[in-house]
Amino acid sequence: MDFSIVGAAIGEALTLSSFIGIGGGVLLGYIIGVIPGLSRSVAIAIAIPLTFYMTPYIAISFLIGLSKGTAAGSAVSAILLNAPGEASSAATSLDGYPMAKQGKPKTALQIGLIASVAGDILATIILIFVAIPFARVALLFGPYEMAAILAFALVFIAGLSGGNLFKGLAAGGLGILLGTIGLDNQTGLPRMTFGFPELMEGMPLIAVAIGTLALSEMFVQSERLRKERATMAVKLEHRPDDHITWPILRMITPTILRGTGIGTFVGALPGLGPSVGSFMSYGMAQKASKTPEKFGKGEPRGIAAAESADNAVIPAALIPLFGLGIPGNVSAALLIGAFAIHGITVGPLLLRDEPELLYSIFAGMIVASFIMLALGWFGLMVFAQITRVPAHVVIPIVIFFCLAGMMLQGYGAFGLIILIAFAALGFLMKKYDYSFVTFLVAFIITPMLELNLRQSIILSRGDWMILLNRPIALFFIFCTLVALAMLAYRTVTVGKPAAPAPARGQTETTAHQERVTKETNP
Amino acid sequence: MPRHSFWSGLAVIGFALLALNWVIPNYAGVNPLAQMPPDLVPRIASWIMLVSGIIVVIQATVEMVRAGEKPVSLDIDWPDLGWKLWPFAYVAVGIYFLTFLKVTYVGAPLIAGMLFLLGERRWYILIGCSIAPVILLYFLSVYLMRVGVI
Repeated sequence: MDFSIVGAAIGEALTLSSFIGIGGGVLLGYIIGVIPGLSRSVAIAIAIPLTFYMTPYIAISFLIGLSKGTAAGSAVSAILLNAPGEASSAATSLDGYPMAKQGKPKTALQIGLIASVAGDILATIILIFVAIPFARVALLFGPYEMAAILAFALVFIAGLSGGNLFKGLAAGGLGILLGTIGLDNQTGLPRMTFGFPELMEGMPLIAVAIGTLALSEMFVQSERLRKERATMAVKLEHRPDDHITWPILRMITPTILRGTGIGTFVGALPGLGPSVGSFMSYGMAQKASKTPEKFGKGEPRGIAAAESADNAVIPAALIPLFGLGIPGNVSAALLIGAFAIHGITVGPLLLRDEPELLYSIFAGMIVASFIMLALGWFGLMVFAQITRVPAHVVIPIVIFFCLAGMMLQGYGAFGLIILIAFAALGFLMKKYDYSFVTFLVAFIITPMLELNLRQSIILSRGDWMILLNRPIALFFIFCTLVALAMLAYRTVTVGKPAAPAPARGQTETTAHQERVTKETNP
Repeated sequence: MPRHSFWSGLAVIGFALLALNWVIPNYAGVNPLAQMPPDLVPRIASWIMLVSGIIVVIQATVEMVRAGEKPVSLDIDWPDLGWKLWPFAYVAVGIYFLTFLKVTYVGAPLIAGMLFLLGERRWYILIGCSIAPVILLYFLSVYLMRVGVI
């Protein structure tokens, strides 16, 4: 490791512009996270156009800060409103809301904040120590290995990102099909452009991301408004005994460490996501406790377990991204898009070609964690007020920023039509339980998958036997087939998804919450 | 719901067949000299959709038979459907205006109109919430990004 590069990276992370960029991202993320219904991926999708004129380091750090901020902010609404900003914070509300109702909302928020920051920092350190050796090994991979790994990741995400495997595969197929639109790199022929020159460079990623994630989510939220309008907010008042104490901190420390471990493991696997991590951590904390009956009634360890795992997933999801160039979830997939907009190929090549940038991003992530702690600690009262902003006020404003984001990128009317078309597609996918996560990840990684597949076919001259000399590729092809068979068997025989569905607002998270409560408190 | 899965599965099958029989042969390009034809990946994707769609339909049919459910129901909740559709129509009309007007000019009435339709009647909320984002966008585009009024 070149320590001069590491020193320069730390220096860059500590500049004023870096603080403003990362701090702005965390602050914006916190505000968005506090508002129920606005998820991390929605925030990133809307914010990508804002980064066009930033330097690559500031842009990526801003988006990672935003991602971290939303994870921490969603705990505020989970604790005060019992309406988690994200599905992954539903586990937090299991104990956070009862504690807030018992007159200790500030204690609950502080426990959540400390667990979030601790989980985040520890997972970031693990990311730094794992991603770099991982990337060094990945640099030895050829197109055969990369194509096999990408196929494996897609099947894994389709099966584990919630819902029916076959619906996930159908969504993935659609993502791949739409991802091939544009000029074919080898032949230069336009593919499925239907004569529109705007499609020569492919379907605009921003339109696909904002439409499928943000705009469609606003349509889902506006539909939900018809049935759910009332909130049950807990007010934050000044009470001398309402704050975290040393005994509580000592009690939650082992839980935070366990939650971080679980969150990191879950985050590093493509497709599982923070919901699985937080609920798994919550369940394990309850099982490990000598007083499991206290869980669900305002137990501090319940909040700490859920929040530490939820926040540990975010840096851990970057392990396959920086190590292999494979996005494990939607947020990571959107980061690939953001990197591409700034002309950077994310993955192992980043370590070889731009190590300064990679180390700066790592340093920026640590800075973001400390900014998150400071903002959360001192801005608690202010963020608590944001929970009172009603959904019907948020929806039109977010729709406006979705449209403005497209105009900022200069796509004009064509981009807006694509945007609303993908919003309709995203809405239908959410209504009919087709994994939009798989769709988006497939759409984003298709150019990489196709490139590696093409190189493999050209190098092998169509001879499949060459794979016998590529054990890693063969291993991942075998894993893909086994994963496909197992997930298909599970879907057909049991009829249940292998993992809970991703964030889709309060109704689902409440159902999810009820299911987990039943499972953890039989 | 199996009925939803049934119809959505049929839609997936229909789209995959359309892609395989019309879109890809006519628009995905052909190059016999290329070692990997340009339509290979789109074809694989369409086949994945077709096979997955068939399995989804079969699963849904089995579930419907078991539950004694019919594939078609005339019990349509029209107000619910209307509530689902109006935001799309509203944004589509907004996009029509954006084809010849700037979003900075259309933004405030667009937000205020939707706020009103969603049930907001307080004038200060209507004005404040519709003007503040537009001012923010103006500063962002004109002073921070320096791309002018968009």
